[in-house]
Amino acid sequence: MRNDDDMTAPKRNAQAAPSRSVVRAMIWATVPVLLVVQLLASAGVEISSFWSQIRQLDARIARTAESRGELIAEPLWKMRYDQVTSVLSEIMHDETIAAAAVYDDTGVAIARVVARPSDQAVSEVSRPISYTNGNIAVQAGRIVIAYSYATVYADTGSRLLLLLVVGLLATFATLIAMRISANIFIGKPLAAIMSAIQRSKQDGRAYPADIKSLNEFGQLARAFNAMQHTTSGALDRLGHMAAHDPLTGLPNRRSLSEHLVTLSNDAGSPDSLIAFCFIDLDDFKGINDTFGHDSGDKFLVHISERLRDAVEPQDWVARLGGDEFVVIRPEVSNEATAQAFARQLLNAISEPIRLHDKQVVPRASIGLAVRRAGDPELSHLPALADIALYHAKSKAPGTVAVLDEALQRDYRRRRDLELAIPAGFAEGQFEVWYQSQVDLENQAVVGLEALIRWRHPEHGIIGPGEFLPLIERSGNNARLTRYVLTDSCRALQRLMAAGKPQIRIAINLPPSELADHSFAAELRATCARFDVAPSSLELEITEGSLINNMASASETLHRLRRLGATIALDDFGTGYSSLAHLRRFPLDKVKIDKAFISEIPDSAEDKAIVGVIASLAGTLGLTLVAEGIERPEQAEAMREMGVMLGQGFHYHRPQPLDAVLQWLEKQAAPESRVLVDSPSIAPEFAA
Amino acid sequence: MTAVLRILLTMGMACGVFTPVGGAAASDAKPLNIVFVNPGKTGEVYWDMVAQTMKAAGRKLDAHVEVLTSERNYRTMQELGLGVVTRPDKPDFLILSNEESAAVPVLEAAEAAGVKTLLLSNTLIGEDAVRLGPPRQKLKTWLGDITTDLQTAGARMANALISRARAEKWQSPDGKIHILGIGGDEITPASIARNAGLKLAADAAPDVVVDRMLFANWTQSEAEQVTANYLGWASRKEIRPAGIWAGNDPMALGALRAVTAAGLMPGRNIEVVGLNWSEDALREIKSGRLLLTDGGHFLLGGWSIVLLRDYADGCDFAAASAHIEVKTSAITRTNLGSVGDLIKNRAFDRIDFTRFRAKAGRCGQYDFSIDALISSLASLEGTAD
Repeated sequence: MRNDDDMTAPKRNAQAAPSRSVVRAMIWATVPVLLVVQLLASAGVEISSFWSQIRQLDARIARTAESRGELIAEPLWKMRYDQVTSVLSEIMHDETIAAAAVYDDTGVAIARVVARPSDQAVSEVSRPISYTNGNIAVQAGRIVIAYSYATVYADTGSRLLLLLVVGLLATFATLIAMRISANIFIGKPLAAIMSAIQRSKQDGRAYPADIKSLNEFGQLARAFNAMQHTTSGALDRLGHMAAHDPLTGLPNRRSLSEHLVTLSNDAGSPDSLIAFCFIDLDDFKGINDTFGHDSGDKFLVHISERLRDAVEPQDWVARLGGDEFVVIRPEVSNEATAQAFARQLLNAISEPIRLHDKQVVPRASIGLAVRRAGDPELSHLPALADIALYHAKSKAPGTVAVLDEALQRDYRRRRDLELAIPAGFAEGQFEVWYQSQVDLENQAVVGLEALIRWRHPEHGIIGPGEFLPLIERSGNNARLTRYVLTDSCRALQRLMAAGKPQIRIAINLPPSELADHSFAAELRATCARFDVAPSSLELEITEGSLINNMASASETLHRLRRLGATIALDDFGTGYSSLAHLRRFPLDKVKIDKAFISEIPDSAEDKAIVGVIASLAGTLGLTLVAEGIERPEQAEAMREMGVMLGQGFHYHRPQPLDAVLQWLEKQAAPESRVLVDSPSIAPEFAA
Repeated sequence: MTAVLRILLTMGMACGVFTPVGGAAASDAKPLNIVFVNPGKTGEVYWDMVAQTMKAAGRKLDAHVEVLTSERNYRTMQELGLGVVTRPDKPDFLILSNEESAAVPVLEAAEAAGVKTLLLSNTLIGEDAVRLGPPRQKLKTWLGDITTDLQTAGARMANALISRARAEKWQSPDGKIHILGIGGDEITPASIARNAGLKLAADAAPDVVVDRMLFANWTQSEAEQVTANYLGWASRKEIRPAGIWAGNDPMALGALRAVTAAGLMPGRNIEVVGLNWSEDALREIKSGRLLLTDGGHFLLGGWSIVLLRDYADGCDFAAASAHIEVKTSAITRTNLGSVGDLIKNRAFDRIDFTRFRAKAGRCGQYDFSIDALISSLASLEGTAD
């Protein structure tokens, strides 16, 4: 979209502001000036010519007066006045002369001729008439000529008009000549350069401008072409950079989308199968953390080289970023071959690498998707392979997961649930069920574990194992924990009301809450609101959550214990099973994971383990809880090994509170035993 | 050989010397055949009278005078002259007038043809005179010329005006006597001489100013026009015009008309003088409007025949000079009675031309004065004398 905008913006600009060509601008800039200068020059010349004509006319008339005076002198002196008149009349052929007169020495007009009534700008010249002969030289009289500048005016006017016309014609001719020459010398080269730029803009390639001339435009074009050449190289490099990962030199995510487009076209037939392997390195973060980012980069380069070596020429390898790689084999015979290819890739990756003189064995998971080349949803291949990858990463890291219907279904279900979380909260779809913890000695219910359930309107009751990771991913852990806390407090109220105040409720505390210092305060506030004692609450934590943030976890646990709540370590035996943890943290209880229980009493090993745990707990003063007791013999075995409490289907399945209360009601009458939960060590001093 | 030549030459010289003497003595010599190419127009008074006196003299002196009129066309004049010299029967003498120097080619043709020529009234001038030299040298047949002394005539006319004006005290406010001169033209010797006479007289009189020398092409109308112009100018200049000097009678008559038209009274408060002895002028003299008319040079026609008669009879006028210059005379109211009738009636036969012939031994010496003329008439009238 941005690109489109960029592409169209200049066009819009070009349309909005009509392009002003250089040629036209030149013509507009020069031709009026030329015209004005020409007209001014012409006018100047003409005005000077006008004045010169006026002067010439004055001089000519003066000469005429003088010459006529000479001619007239004798007849005037000799009083041949008819001759005077006729000689005077002759000058009237001069059309500038309006009138003429000859006066004798007495000042009387001897002859007077008038050509036309003086209309405008009449000037006058007067000259004495001298008569000389051998004996005398006298002034016989005077000649006066009145003349008009009208002919000069008319002459000048017509010449100005002619000059104007000639000037206009010259300007017009100049205009044409300029237009033609400017088009040839400027317009064409510019158009050639422009066209090269337009073509370059259209397909991003650098086209040269085709100009052969040797003038400045020729030089400009050569410079432009040189620049185009440079740009072309830069564009190529830029294109390569845009499409490739600078670290490994492999095509990048952007290339992948482009490659996917061409895949179907490049395939031999629409039925040929395409194998898409989505590779994710396992624990690449660990590599980075352990060896540093430079080594991490080196590691990635190694992996990319291995992938390149492992594939055939027709295969396509890309790095999408981070520790994600993609390998596409454009044609595989069937899904099994594809799977074999993926495994082959895994094997290639798994060769040990030396980093800082240490052997590192890379591990990766592959999500494999196989699709027909004609599949219209070929562009979804990365997403599909990612589903498989997700499965592999979550279910079996270091393996190849092939995308199948089930996985896709799972994926869709996961997606659905994830999207439904907000609605789940809003509509109260999350329910807290309770499973009892029982004293193995007397079978009395001493506590309840609050277990979350999702009553989904379409999918029915969903267990926490499925949706808790989704809750965590969507960032709703705290909300859910408070929901459970609130529900538990309400349950405690009801237990008290039902006369079972001794029954405590255990809440699973996710690692994120353990890191939250405010949780303890919130717990106290909630207890206060429902008027229940925090000591009625038990908080179950996992070993993993302790390890991730030991300091803050320890802090939170101490606060909770100060409030009176008890702390239980859940799922003990499956994780680190650190004895140090048992000592270090303020724990009250340890819950043995059901994995150790299920094979008991048959498995001697498990019995030994549980026995060790039990003796250890006894030594440390921790109460032991056996989870997943499903059969009486298991309960018996536990009891024999000194485990005090048990939990499992043998006793009760998790049920809504009402059902639990009902059951407790029924059982209550005969023998309600009170398990006094008294922590052997004051919590305050536990740590 | 030489001796024979010397004898022949001596005989010839003897003949040359004695023949005229014999001729002069013998009054009944052979008749002469004379042709005159008249440059003037028929009806032109002066030239008509020249031809008439020529003929009258011919009759008296046994000479046949043939007059060819060129009607004021000098081309015609030349053609006529050339026609005469190429005649098989050539005349004894050819009389030409060198008006506008048109006679020169004819003179030269006559030289070639051996026809003797005489120039009348207008002789060679300027370049022609220099080139051809005096008579009878380069052109052997050119015998000489007979002209009038018109400069003296001009001066006499002017002086008459001046005397009259002085006597009448016709001075202008500036104390000067103002005169208008009207010349015929400025180029012909006849005109130039007259005008020079006016100037001579005026220059000699410090109280006289010739206001203008105007030219009227010898014609009355133009003279009237320029006179009118002059009078107008003079009145604007507050000049009192005292007299008008006209180069010939027609112009004087034109001046008279203009003067009269201007309200002046000729003869009473202004005087006009002319030249030519024309009939009209005589009438104006008689009426007291014209002061005088100088002239009588039309008698050159008669005088030329006298010269040629004498020459033919052996009394060569060149003995004195080949250039005969005849003085003119003025006709005033005083002498008008004597010659008026002669001119008026053109009764030139009354003139006894024989009386004007050179006396024996005084060849070339002639008295063509008006007194001589009057006495010749008187003798004719007074048969008792």
